[in-house]
Amino acid sequence: MTTVEYMQHHLTNNSVGEGFWTFNLDTIAVSIMLGALIVFVSMRLVRKMEAGTPGGFQNFVESILDFVAVNVRDAFPGHNPLIAPLALTVFLWIWLMNFMDLIPIDLLPYLFQLVTGDSHAYLKVVPTTDLNTTLAMSLTVFFLVIFYNIKIKGLWGYTKVFLFHPFGKFLIPINIIMTLIEEVAKPLSLALRLFGNLFAGELVFLLIALIGGTLAVGAAALFWAPVQILLDLAWLIFHLLVITLQAFIFMVLTIVYLGMAHEDVEHESVH
Amino acid sequence: MTESNQQKSGSKHVIAPRPVGANYLLVGAGSMYTASVIAGFLVGYLLDYLFGTMPLFFLICGVLGFVAGARKVHLLSNRVNVATVTAKKKEEQNAE
Repeated sequence: MTTVEYMQHHLTNNSVGEGFWTFNLDTIAVSIMLGALIVFVSMRLVRKMEAGTPGGFQNFVESILDFVAVNVRDAFPGHNPLIAPLALTVFLWIWLMNFMDLIPIDLLPYLFQLVTGDSHAYLKVVPTTDLNTTLAMSLTVFFLVIFYNIKIKGLWGYTKVFLFHPFGKFLIPINIIMTLIEEVAKPLSLALRLFGNLFAGELVFLLIALIGGTLAVGAAALFWAPVQILLDLAWLIFHLLVITLQAFIFMVLTIVYLGMAHEDVEHESVH
Repeated sequence: MTESNQQKSGSKHVIAPRPVGANYLLVGAGSMYTASVIAGFLVGYLLDYLFGTMPLFFLICGVLGFVAGARKVHLLSNRVNVATVTAKKKEEQNAE
């Protein structure tokens, strides 16, 4: 297998169907499993929860809850009981999906190939390196934003944003296009930022992994194998920061966009 | 901040105000600009697809995407300026 084939193999999803109706089975399965993990761990924790002397894990979860609650308080102006649970779900789910990037890159695909008996079976284990996942999440946020815009401002109020913003009543056609562009840019920027960061991170892991198969052969392995381990460790530690930051940014922008949907039309300028 | 500026402002330690509300959008200002350009071309493509006018709206909306992106980043940075000035005024009022 050449280096290009190796990378292409790692970057190809295990999918069924064609064209628009292509289903990336690995993305769907991994993201559902991680979502189920959150639900399972939360349910277990709730059953074992103690008020007086909380254990280490309960403390850890409570610190995450506090962190999210503080961010919601800072970034969300009004009161909506949906926002904090949504933000927490977004943060935890994205963090876990991103975390799959830190598992040794060949491990899970190799195990999958052993189980299926197909030595060329595809498995891409990081759902957030699939644009479908990030776009699906950002579109969900986008539809929520539209829903709350219409709910809070009313249909006419929301339409007025399109008609008279940003250049006033004399340039209505341009206003409509400009606002449409600004609205479409929101989910796009959310999705592309997460996808771009994680995809790039995955590529770097792949390039580092390639050292083992290309340069660290024979006596050269004495030099290249330690270099690969060092590079991998360094990138892993840095990437731990990236995955947390990306999960945080997605969460906080979700809160801010929903917060802006709850604001009056007059404050729409930065919308 | 230089020493003379610190003396002018009257304080040696300047603590950045905690981001509140839309100020959080600054973390995504760069990608928002890029996304606006892409969104412009997307909307233009959609309009051309609807009206069969390729590439008229594609180009117009592409340019409008650039404008929208630049405008948004400008507004965002202005908003931070306003937040900083307001925080400074509050500090001065408290000091008095």
